[in-house]
Amino acid sequence: MIGETRLQQLHAFLNSYSKEELIWINDYLSGIVSSGARQSPVHIPKTVATKKISLVFGTETGNAKRLATELAAVARKKGINARLQGLDQYRLSDLSKEEYFFVVISTHGEGEAPVTAKKFYEYIHANELSLPQIKFSVLALGDSSYPLFCKTGEDVDARFSQFGATRVVPLQKCDVEYEEEAHQWFEQVIGIIEKEEKEKDKDKATVPVPAPAKKTGGKKYYTGTILTNINLNDRGSNKQTYHIEIGTEEAIEYEPGDAIGVIPQNRQKVIERIIALTGIDANLIVPAIKHTATVAELLTQHLNICYLLTSTIKKYAAITGQHIPDTRMDLADLLRIYPVKNATQFEEIIKILMPLAPRLYSVSSSAAAHGSSEVHITVARNRFLALDEQRFGLCSEFLGDVPKGTKLTFYVHKNKNFKLPAPDKDIIMIGPGTGVAPFRSFIAERDATGATGKNWFFFGEQHFSSDFLYQREMQDYLQTNVLTQIDLAFSRDQPEKIYVQDKMKKRAAELYNWISNGASVYISGTKDPMSKDVENTLLQIIKEQGGKTNEEARQFLAQLDNEGRYEKDVY
Amino acid sequence: MKQKKTISPIERIKAASNGLRGTLSKSLDEDITGALYEDDQSLIKFHGLYQQDDRDRREERSEKKLEWLYSFMIRLRLPGGFLSPKQWIGLHHIAGEHSTGTIKITTRQTVQLHGIIKSQLKPTLQSFNTLHLDSIAACGDVNRNVTCSAHPDESPIHAQVFQYADKISIMALPKTRAYYEIWLDEEQLEDKKDPSAVAEEDPLYQDRYLPRKFKVGIAIPPNNDVDVLTNDVGLIAIIDNNELKGFNIAAGGGLSVTHGNPDTYARLATVLGFVDTEGKILKTVYEIMTIQRDFGNRSDRKLARLKYTIDKMGVEAFKAELEKRCDFVLEAAKPYTFTSRKDHYGWKQNHENKWYYTIFIENGRVLDTEKLALKTALLELAKTGKANFRFTGNQNLILADIADMDKPEIEALLQQFKIDKHTDDASALRKNAMACVAFNTCPLALAEAQRYLPSLIDKIEPLLEKYGLTEEEIILRMTGCPNGCGRSPAAEIGFVGTAYGHYNLHIGGDRTGERLNTKYKESLNEEQILQTLDELFAVYKTERTAGEKFGDFANKKWIGIK
Ligand code: SRM
Ligand SMILES: Cc1cc2nc3c(=O)[nH]c(=O)nc-3n(C[C@H](O)[C@H](O)[C@H](O)COP(=O)(O)OP(=O)(O)OC[C@H]3O[C@@H](n4cnc5c(N)ncnc54)[C@H](O)[C@@H]3O)c2cc1C
Ligand SMILES: Cc1cc2nc3c(=O)[nH]c(=O)nc-3n(C[C@H](O)[C@H](O)[C@H](O)COP(=O)(O)O)c2cc1C
Ligand code: SF4
Repeated sequence: MIGETRLQQLHAFLNSYSKEELIWINDYLSGIVSSGARQSPVHIPKTVATKKISLVFGTETGNAKRLATELAAVARKKGINARLQGLDQYRLSDLSKEEYFFVVISTHGEGEAPVTAKKFYEYIHANELSLPQIKFSVLALGDSSYPLFCKTGEDVDARFSQFGATRVVPLQKCDVEYEEEAHQWFEQVIGIIEKEEKEKDKDKATVPVPAPAKKTGGKKYYTGTILTNINLNDRGSNKQTYHIEIGTEEAIEYEPGDAIGVIPQNRQKVIERIIALTGIDANLIVPAIKHTATVAELLTQHLNICYLLTSTIKKYAAITGQHIPDTRMDLADLLRIYPVKNATQFEEIIKILMPLAPRLYSVSSSAAAHGSSEVHITVARNRFLALDEQRFGLCSEFLGDVPKGTKLTFYVHKNKNFKLPAPDKDIIMIGPGTGVAPFRSFIAERDATGATGKNWFFFGEQHFSSDFLYQREMQDYLQTNVLTQIDLAFSRDQPEKIYVQDKMKKRAAELYNWISNGASVYISGTKDPMSKDVENTLLQIIKEQGGKTNEEARQFLAQLDNEGRYEKDVY
Repeated sequence: MKQKKTISPIERIKAASNGLRGTLSKSLDEDITGALYEDDQSLIKFHGLYQQDDRDRREERSEKKLEWLYSFMIRLRLPGGFLSPKQWIGLHHIAGEHSTGTIKITTRQTVQLHGIIKSQLKPTLQSFNTLHLDSIAACGDVNRNVTCSAHPDESPIHAQVFQYADKISIMALPKTRAYYEIWLDEEQLEDKKDPSAVAEEDPLYQDRYLPRKFKVGIAIPPNNDVDVLTNDVGLIAIIDNNELKGFNIAAGGGLSVTHGNPDTYARLATVLGFVDTEGKILKTVYEIMTIQRDFGNRSDRKLARLKYTIDKMGVEAFKAELEKRCDFVLEAAKPYTFTSRKDHYGWKQNHENKWYYTIFIENGRVLDTEKLALKTALLELAKTGKANFRFTGNQNLILADIADMDKPEIEALLQQFKIDKHTDDASALRKNAMACVAFNTCPLALAEAQRYLPSLIDKIEPLLEKYGLTEEEIILRMTGCPNGCGRSPAAEIGFVGTAYGHYNLHIGGDRTGERLNTKYKESLNEEQILQTLDELFAVYKTERTAGEKFGDFANKKWIGIK
């Protein structure tokens, strides 16, 4: 219906806009069409150009970004032109120039700021600023099953009021079902802006407020059965990495790149020790932070008794009236070293214990390849030293030991920032150790769906003969050319250590070539030091191969990131 | 004899191998697997190496989504089985560094190391090279390690005969430089782009090599410790008052059969005649190889050994062809007698008053156990620099060429490590027994052998005691399959594995290796084995004539009538 040339013009025109802007334009046009208003020249509602309004987001797995983009579109519909920015891009010196400052930010790790907001978070905590001119509000994304619910949002909110800024809308904390609350919060935000504007000019075109976006389903729990649980490492290895297959009755909604969340159970031995140490009645019913249940059930299923947070230990010290230095340790150790007076005092302690946090495991299966009613994960037994003894991580040990047939509840944690590109696009996957997990999923998916893009995998571990996770499968994928190539780094099979980044350096030219030709780069596995070393190597390669300066290389990578061609799943 | 017409795939691989190079270099660099490309797995044998995997671990590895635990076995080319003490020390350390650590003395007087992973192959061969040792053609369709009666005390002309092992080995080496290029990084001779250019002229093997492995052994009567007649070519030294006159030449020996394949059979070599001069001796061996090269079966490897070629042609026709190719006739065979096939344990002295100590090494496995620190002991003995190392065809070891004055020092060490006691205390049965490798490394094994025989002997010894037969030097041998690597077909009592835990029982072989045994009972388990032997020994004890050997008695009593 629309001519070739005009279509081309339109494309040219549209290409000049960012994704966010397009979303807005889309809503804008639909608004015009639906309101039947089709007089030309198009009457554009007078935007509030006078005020400077910033809407910033801090995200790790993409929720905050998507939400903020959505909200910005809503604002524009109302003629409010909010400047949308990711906190990783935000120039900190701009803070002093802000007037309206709205933050959408999530919490990660153990109550830590999301990676993209770390710089910002550290800056506002390291500096005592004075920002009386700012009118602000914070929308915190979180998950109440974590001990420090929306911690980052709380901190940001607190800091800005300390900076003398005015909180125009109270802090809004959102759980996993955040859509509705978020939109309500934003309506208040818009309300405030408009009110302030009305003061200024009366002839403000009012546009109907769109209904809040439909609610996206919250956290859905699945009950699965352990179908397989094998240690992939051979005898003589220093590692234990479990390949676990979980089957369900119903179909599981997940995509390659997602993770599943599992809430571990505390160890029975430890609970018995705690009960013995405190003399509390295991069947006594006590109200705890989120549940009211018997002491035994609370300690087994609901409360975190491992590696208590410093803040919790402070409270413990207060309750038991003992002096305890700032530290973190397991409850059992704490009770041993700084005993409670009696069972009743321990009841008080139970009330200050945080909920057991879920642990995430990147899905290593693909519904297309393995069927939609089963999900695989690849779990490394986490080991560490505590009080001079070898100890194991709670959840990974728990999973390593669950026998076949055991029931297990889990939920799917979507990761919008770790997704396969279009089927015809090439991908470079860098995933040593358990980093292989999402890539086993990627490769299986691309195999099953006949994706035509090339696939290049970098894998590393300690020893070839004992630690080559999924070796047989990778060999088959190479045979059938699903894997275009694989580069292996076994760190301890020769005198000098060799890691994936060393293999990347060896293939620098080809790597850069792939990237220049549109390949996406994925990193998965441990954050420290792996993901950092790999990123630095990547920058170096871009710099050397592309004849760029450090700064240009950094921008190049940032650009990839914006295009969704540089994604990480690190922990 | 039925024959498949199509030539065997191995023939194609050999011809296309560009002088045994194949794609070995690429195979070695392929880091996704511990194995080689399929064709290279056949080629690498010609370099004295076998790709293997730990068969005990297959299931578990597969469950872990890991490939099988591949590693390599190396077999040295060691004509006559001789090492200087320096070389033994080097071998000891190479074994520790690159292999399982166990040194395996084979039934053909050389040694094998197991469990060498792909990336360690080059370093291993390079270390051996610095000791002037190689593994060229220790396996493959070529002449194998040449064996020779091990006991210098046997006769004054031992040294003279011994040299023939080396001469024959050298004469029959493939001419390709592949080994030096691939393992020792030696400059490639010519540009690889033109394969024909690199395929060095090899008048003996050409580009086809032999249809099958080829084995030469040399015996000095009256001891047949090398089982000379089980070889493709056997040379029997003819000695006249301490002078080497020449050799009787026997051809067509071979022990392997295939379960359920009636066309296959074990065969002892046929004595064809006598030759005297060195020139004639070497020429005869050489032309036997060319006949096998030209007439051997290249379509069915199960029927490709010289023994089948000879029977296909007929002994007389074969001899005629040989004389035609040699351009001289063989003299009539000279008389000789074998009286034994054993090792002379303990101290012996030769005509030059040099001393020899033969150590009993059960199944040729040199390692330290809590019972016996054999490997350490041998290292200490080697460090004295005062004894050479000689391997016997019975998988034992001789400390050789020890001067009178040095004997006390060696004796002291033997005592210190209880080697002498270990050798003296072993029963006659045990000392005359052999077992092949079989599990866990041998891919062809159907049943255990060297890992099992010791414990079986523990249970047979009481039976012999029961009948007062402990002094009998009965030759008992076990192999994990009918290939006969432990020469079980040439034993008085032979066990041949049929399935895990099950063995065919063969009896009736003679003591000197001049009559093969015959299958008496099929796939017995341990209990049945012991029960059967109990019955046989009981009859033997009561019915034997004075001094009658078990093998002869068994043959007359239970086989003859069959
Ligand atoms: C190490 C040794 C047995 C031992 O415990 O000492 C041995 C071990 C093997 N022999 Fe043997 N053979 C050994 C002496 C023999 C003998 C006895 C002899 O030569 O005095 C025989 C019977 C005589 C004969 O050749 O007829 C023998 C007949 C075979 C055969 C059957 C050949 C045939 O004619 O069919 C095979 C299988 C094959 O070649 O296809 C074989 C194959 C093998 C292989 C390489 C299995 C394989 O092909 O992958 C075994 C390696 C096992 C391992 O893990 O080490 N081996 N093999 C002996 C090494 C000799 C050497 O140093 O070169
Ligand atoms: C998105 C995402 C994907 C992931 N994917 C995978 C995956 O595919 N495979 C995988 O194996 N893991 C994965 N992880 C990591 C996983 O979620 C867990 O963090 C990991 O298994 C450790 O949990 P745990 O309960 O076993 O150990 P925890 O008990 O939580 O202990 C973890 C760490 O806390 C410290 N600690 C605990 N107790 C003490 C103490 N008493 N004293 C001192 N220090 C202590 C130690 O440093 C220990 O290593 C992923 C994580 C994320 C966020
Ligand atoms: C590894 C990990 C740790 C988390 N830790 C917390 C936490 O401590 N407190 C919290 O409230 N939410 C926590 N969450 C939940 C996230 O904040 C929640 O999923 C949010 O929607 C993510 O938003 P984003 O995609 O913008 O990063 C955590 C999520 C992950 C993946
Ligand atoms: S006889 Fe069979 S089992 Fe024993 S080593 Fe030879 S091939 Fe292997």
